[in-house]
Amino acid sequence: MSEELLTVGKSVAPVYGIEKATGELRFAADINLPNMLWMKIVRSPHAHARIVEVNGAATRQIPGVVAILTHDDVPKVLFGPYQEELYPLDQEVRFVGDSVAAVAAEDWNSAEAAARAIEVKYELLPPVFDAEAAVRPQSPLAVAYMPEGVLARPGGGRPATAIDASSNVLRGDADRPTVLNARGDVATGFLQSDCVVERVFRQSHVGAVSHEPRACVAVYEDGQCTLWCSVQDPYRLQESVAQVLGLPLACVRVVSTNLGGAFGVKVTGRFAVLTALMARQTGRPVKVWFTREEESLDSHNRSALTHYVKVGAKKNGTLTAFEVRTFLDNGFWIGLGENIAQHICTRPMDLYHRCPNVKWEVFVVRTNHPTTGPYRGRADAESHFAIESVLDELAGAIQMDPIEFRLKNRLHEGDDLCSAPGKIMSTVWVEEAARSGAKAIGWERRSPRPCATPGPRKNGIGMALVIHSCGSNPAGTSEAEVVVDREGRLSFFSGTPDQGSEQQTTLRQMVAEILAVGLDDVHGDNADTATCPFDSGPFSSRTVYATGIAASRAAQAAKKQLLEQAALLLQRETSAVALDNGSVSVRAEPWRKMAWGEIAAAAGGSIRGKGIHNAKDDNLFAYGFAAAFAEVEIDVETGEVKILRLVSSHDVGRAINPMILDGQILGGAAQGLGYAMTEGFCFDARTGTALNQWFLDLRTPSILDVPNIEPVVVELGEPTHPFGAKGCSEISYVGVAPAIANAIFNAAGIRLTELPMTPDRVLKALQEAKGIAA
Amino acid sequence: MDDQESHNITLTINGSAHRLDIDSNWTLNDVLRNRLDLTGTKRACDYGGCGSCTVLMDGVDVYSCSILAVEASGKEILTIEGLGTKENLHPLQKSFALSYAAQCGWCTPGMIMSAKALLDRNPKPTEAEVRAALSGVLCRCTGYTSIVNAVLEAASVMRGEP
Repeated sequence: MSEELLTVGKSVAPVYGIEKATGELRFAADINLPNMLWMKIVRSPHAHARIVEVNGAATRQIPGVVAILTHDDVPKVLFGPYQEELYPLDQEVRFVGDSVAAVAAEDWNSAEAAARAIEVKYELLPPVFDAEAAVRPQSPLAVAYMPEGVLARPGGGRPATAIDASSNVLRGDADRPTVLNARGDVATGFLQSDCVVERVFRQSHVGAVSHEPRACVAVYEDGQCTLWCSVQDPYRLQESVAQVLGLPLACVRVVSTNLGGAFGVKVTGRFAVLTALMARQTGRPVKVWFTREEESLDSHNRSALTHYVKVGAKKNGTLTAFEVRTFLDNGFWIGLGENIAQHICTRPMDLYHRCPNVKWEVFVVRTNHPTTGPYRGRADAESHFAIESVLDELAGAIQMDPIEFRLKNRLHEGDDLCSAPGKIMSTVWVEEAARSGAKAIGWERRSPRPCATPGPRKNGIGMALVIHSCGSNPAGTSEAEVVVDREGRLSFFSGTPDQGSEQQTTLRQMVAEILAVGLDDVHGDNADTATCPFDSGPFSSRTVYATGIAASRAAQAAKKQLLEQAALLLQRETSAVALDNGSVSVRAEPWRKMAWGEIAAAAGGSIRGKGIHNAKDDNLFAYGFAAAFAEVEIDVETGEVKILRLVSSHDVGRAINPMILDGQILGGAAQGLGYAMTEGFCFDARTGTALNQWFLDLRTPSILDVPNIEPVVVELGEPTHPFGAKGCSEISYVGVAPAIANAIFNAAGIRLTELPMTPDRVLKALQEAKGIAA
Repeated sequence: MDDQESHNITLTINGSAHRLDIDSNWTLNDVLRNRLDLTGTKRACDYGGCGSCTVLMDGVDVYSCSILAVEASGKEILTIEGLGTKENLHPLQKSFALSYAAQCGWCTPGMIMSAKALLDRNPKPTEAEVRAALSGVLCRCTGYTSIVNAVLEAASVMRGEP
């Protein structure tokens, strides 16, 4: 894309940069209102229990305590678009940290003391922690008392259906997976293969660890409820609060304040609904702000998974069969489990589209671990470690270069998609991303055989290919509005919140470009249900793509009206006038012009352009592609793995703001590094308590752990987007773990099959390899 | 709640003296955020695990969540609000703002205050010195490269280099 534009493609400074650097930006937790109460949620110490009694007598004696809400006090309403959220408070608790009750007090310290003083009598129920064992018919149930009417939120555009509560398997049982992706016949495929690799991969629950703990401030006045909240989906929270409080949507206003990190997991939760209920109960503003422990436990972490993988290929590098059985430890939340499972088993099989035989089963299993959800790289971080590791091993077995092996079987433009039935694949620049990344890391230096470095410190290079959503998600809708008022002021309204990706910058760049003004000339508001049109929110890397299309359409509509109105007023053909820096002028006589304000006034007071994007309407489907490369040094005596280099190479279509794009790539890769090497929840096997809820043992990478990651950007365009862009804020996360695992194999000849790849696991793999060699 | 002794303390914050009645268990972070509405200073953990609450106390970078307000009595406290304003940005604020070193912005005030402490004692740090000095503040968004570069850039501006 060589077309030179005014603002798009430039590294302009972020819109919120100065407010962030001065501390002036108000996050939800920074909002303090007069007469405000602090709310604290009482949380279960048990993984599975039924509440017999909640005794608040001692709590009411504490000075400053104003109200207590228990499951008896809240409406028994299922909420969420598919009624998949269970009651705001329930009589059954289903994980350590589940909500039991809520207390409100005059200040934070009193609220904490009040929560501690609540006495709860529990009847313990058998907990379910092992997802594979929980599949069996004789297993206890993780949700013993499933409310009636709960629906599963399906994937692939299928209708929601009722939950069968008699099995822990969501919409399935021991013999019937939740989701199955099948094509061809795998038995035939394995017969045709020359080489088969079988492995079991395990990955633990991992948290997004947003640094801003969730917060919400709610006000209830005269039948109207207003919430300032750290959620990514303000319109869904609006619906949920309206459902539970029994209000029309118009009486609920949600403002998603800027989010201090979200990464997909700050989806509507019970905490915000509870805050609204408490505000109604007390008639006062109420604020809740999670502690770090709450943010770790009640947070929709990435689920733990076990993959049984068997893949076959011919000697010439043709893949013949994929057979995978996946167990996904979903926690009790019904939420998005099935939707995620749908993409786990389909997207990698789209990436390796040339493989004719596939059977991939996913069992989404309810357990009494904390709730899970759509964390950065959703569905693909869940699958790629296993698939990309096995392909590396197969490439070694048939003595083929791992890049060439993958590219031989890859997806092409025009292919049909099993992850988006009925859609046709748009651009696929995966080969260009792989070759550019290979050049950057110096792939030719890689020894084809492992253990080539002498001595106890061994070097290796590895890679992985990645497919991920870039915003072309049929489940999402974005609206946008561009307004020019009678002063000529240009405002852009979008419902999408900013969680750190500075989407207001990139979206306004597109609006500024179309209306031929500078970025500073674009004002407006975002993520306020009272002032902005609907947006599903920043999920699946959809903002630059989907909201970007809506924003561009809105700007084009405003431009059309400005030109038509001005042409009438200037008594010229529309084709004879043009935008001219906040005015419209006659092309041939540029001194004849009208300011936007005059045009808007003449048009009745304002010019309003609306745009909408819903991928359901499109035949062509866009995906993002990437290639991750790692160079490591492994000490075979200590098991320590040093990351020497990480190269993160991306098909981005086109960079709207190269600086922000690089920031997203680097940040995603650094999180992927944590997932690969250090992060992951450890649960007490008996009680289900997370043993590492705090920063010091969550082990997210520090400034001393992250090398300078090298971004590579391939800009070859995407015709379905007005500026050729694809979303790119998650995909760099996905490939890091398999690229490092493959580099470790290249260095030391050991195959790591469990995340995180800690030194003890590396040592264990080395000892096993020695044992086999001996 | 346990009975807490009340104290009358004087905190000097961003050059202004504040007389406050506070309980023994109030942290400096509580006082800044909830009594004085200085919400630029963040909290992400409350036990010294992340550094997002970092402020300067007598010129030293400290975790405000782990300092009791009574300990800070009589000390000079500098928070992000006292470093610079929108109209008059400190070079660190400017370099963080313009170079996308502040992504979500939650760790940014702590990161900038920690960097300020470094540049006060070492105006010409190396990249390794920047990394060592900021290792008490975690960031989840950036991967740190832009932060290191922003600190080096601000240091160079503060030394008057072109």
